Amino acid sequence: MNTNIETFKYDNRIVRAFAIVTVIWGIVGMLVGLLAAVQLFFPEANLNFQFITFGRIRPLHTNAVIFAFVGNGMFMGIYYSLQRLCKARMYSDFLSWFNFWGWQAIIVGAAVTLPLGYTTSKEYAELEWPIKVAIAIVWVAFTVNMFGTILKRREKHMYVAIWFYIATALTVAVLHITNSMTMPAGWFKSYSMYAGVQDALVQWWYGHNAVAFFLTTPYLGLMYYFLPKAANRPIFSYRLSIIHFWALVFLYIWAGPHHLLYTALPDWAQSLGMVFSLMLIAPSWGGMLNGLLTLRGAWDKVRQDPVLKFMVAAVTAYGMATLEGPLMAIKTVNSLSHYTDWTIAHAHGGALGWNGFLTFSMLYYLFPRLYKTELWSTKMANYHFWLGLLGMIFYIVPIYVAGITEGLMWKQFNKDGFLQYPNFLETIVQVVPMFRLRAIGGTLYLTGVFMMAYNLYRTAKAGKFEPDTEAQAAALEKGPEIAHGKYSFHRFLEGKPMFFTVLAIVAVLVGGMVEIIPMFLIRENVPIIASVKPYSPLEVLGRDIYIREGCLGCHSQMIRPFRSETERYGDYSKAGEFVYDHPFLWGSERKGPDLAREGGKYPDAWHYNHMDDPRSTSPGSIMPRYSWLLTQPLETDALPSRLGALRRVGVPYPAGYENGPAQKDLQAQALKIVGDLKLGSVNCETNKEIVALIAYLQRLGTDIKSAPVTTAAK
Amino acid sequence: MEEKIICSMNGVSIYGIISILIFVVFFTGMLIWAFTTKASYLNKMGSLPLNGGEKDSNDKLNAE
Repeated sequence: MNTNIETFKYDNRIVRAFAIVTVIWGIVGMLVGLLAAVQLFFPEANLNFQFITFGRIRPLHTNAVIFAFVGNGMFMGIYYSLQRLCKARMYSDFLSWFNFWGWQAIIVGAAVTLPLGYTTSKEYAELEWPIKVAIAIVWVAFTVNMFGTILKRREKHMYVAIWFYIATALTVAVLHITNSMTMPAGWFKSYSMYAGVQDALVQWWYGHNAVAFFLTTPYLGLMYYFLPKAANRPIFSYRLSIIHFWALVFLYIWAGPHHLLYTALPDWAQSLGMVFSLMLIAPSWGGMLNGLLTLRGAWDKVRQDPVLKFMVAAVTAYGMATLEGPLMAIKTVNSLSHYTDWTIAHAHGGALGWNGFLTFSMLYYLFPRLYKTELWSTKMANYHFWLGLLGMIFYIVPIYVAGITEGLMWKQFNKDGFLQYPNFLETIVQVVPMFRLRAIGGTLYLTGVFMMAYNLYRTAKAGKFEPDTEAQAAALEKGPEIAHGKYSFHRFLEGKPMFFTVLAIVAVLVGGMVEIIPMFLIRENVPIIASVKPYSPLEVLGRDIYIREGCLGCHSQMIRPFRSETERYGDYSKAGEFVYDHPFLWGSERKGPDLAREGGKYPDAWHYNHMDDPRSTSPGSIMPRYSWLLTQPLETDALPSRLGALRRVGVPYPAGYENGPAQKDLQAQALKIVGDLKLGSVNCETNKEIVALIAYLQRLGTDIKSAPVTTAAK
Repeated sequence: MEEKIICSMNGVSIYGIISILIFVVFFTGMLIWAFTTKASYLNKMGSLPLNGGEKDSNDKLNAE
């Protein structure tokens, strides 16, 4: 027994800093979400101001909530619990604060660039490359600080929460780097290295695992620390937590393709995603039950303690979301749910319930402890709980109804075999009342957050902040531990964080590699559709505007092989159609019709008028006006760098094309569109953004409309 | 179409075999490991968060 007792101090300042910004960014992120929600039934709420229009603030909302609210909440919880579980102060105060200020700078960068339209369009990875580089640097600082702390710990063994933190740090790094492979075309513009099907698979491998390893594993680690602390009893089964960890980390990474069911993604990848998603139910529910059963015999505490109330609801929401997710990954269920609001309901069940409530519980737990006092008002916290729960129900239930209604209406045929609702707008008008109810639910939830902010502020005012907490522990003895008799591999592993790390990363990477490597091979094997050609210069710029405005937030470009879809939109989408799509723009949600075969459906003048005021051509439409596209000049100066970047990622533009011929082609195509617009009594100059956007929209899907499909193996 | 793509890839069948092998080996190993670990050790590990080493009376706010 080591009697060398050391005294040291836990750093509370960094925990407080992360706690404060968690509350602030939470409010900001949810306010932006509310603004987006209101625009879905009242499009004029954007005040005809491009920077706060739905397409641009939707990614701002998702990024703010995921990376600013939950991200800071995660750092808050990890910085508090890791020190106490390791019985050591954080490895480096400098790295802690570098992590803090770096992360806040990234958030501010996102809050400025996303409304300006600087986006890669890839969901939850929208930030442009300079910010992506900054994320990588800050993440490395966090990881080094975490491993440094683990290495200098005074506790021989690593508690299961730390395993979850390690898996988070490593996997997020791998995901972020793999999905961020882009070719810069200027300071705030880049094109994905991958194209079409490949880009889609990499993106949803990332997107799915961002949910897994940013929203789930760190929070599970936090649950394994804070739930026993709040209940003042050990976790129900430590053995179950071991199984939970390894099974979850191993299985999660394989399930990404369930976001691409019935798309042009190869069938084997879809089936793999579906099977692994179903298997995920087991570890997820194991973890949920482990959390809930920890409270056996202590349910009376749950009645009084708001911290435990929030935790129980959060863990239950985790269980519900992780049952629903695998069900939605079943192909038949997915054929109904995909592209509808059901997905939004599912995501918010997880975000509002699991992440939101667990964050609130941690804040209510931490503030009194950081300020050495009691919570200012337990009653108010209880009101917050009930208001939050009510808000969640008001948010989620109407959106489920909306989602299922949309899915059923899209698929409904009449007795003569025609689509019952051939006009997409009919299906949207039907669910607008649900959008209103959802906004009420969101408002209730947000009101609860304001109450919490006030309660925490009063708690802080009433107490006295303790910047450092003094602690004592015996220094760690060197050498292998054989003290308990049988030398266990498990214990050896926990005593060796680096070896553990390697094993964890292998578990994570295996699934990724089995999935991703064949997709890299497929690049040479996707059938070339002879008539599919690269976009013209004007279309490239139009596509960039489409990306900038976030059109893919509401319009998919992927017609699934169902009769209900081919009747409505045309021939189903083929893998070979997207070989020049850097990035892919399949989308994941339909608030408007699919645009994969939009080209040639309407005259140019229709598009012009529709962009100026969607309700002039489509009464009842919830699409915002894009009148600024009619007046803003097209930035043709950017053409050389953009075409050059596209060539570097594999689009076969001839050498030197961007330095002259491209501008001529652009002018010729613009003149033709302006001429067509005149036929529709619209006067427009060639150098306006709308001309480029019309060129792009009129191109969509025409490559295989104009010529018979001929496949030629390379 | 997909079948053609997959079949044309050199040695693609190995991916299926590798997947199932890794899967079976991994889970068998993990379960053996989890169920052969001693209960005394598990209990010790489970109660680890409850002692954070704070000098100040081990968290007054949790005391009933």
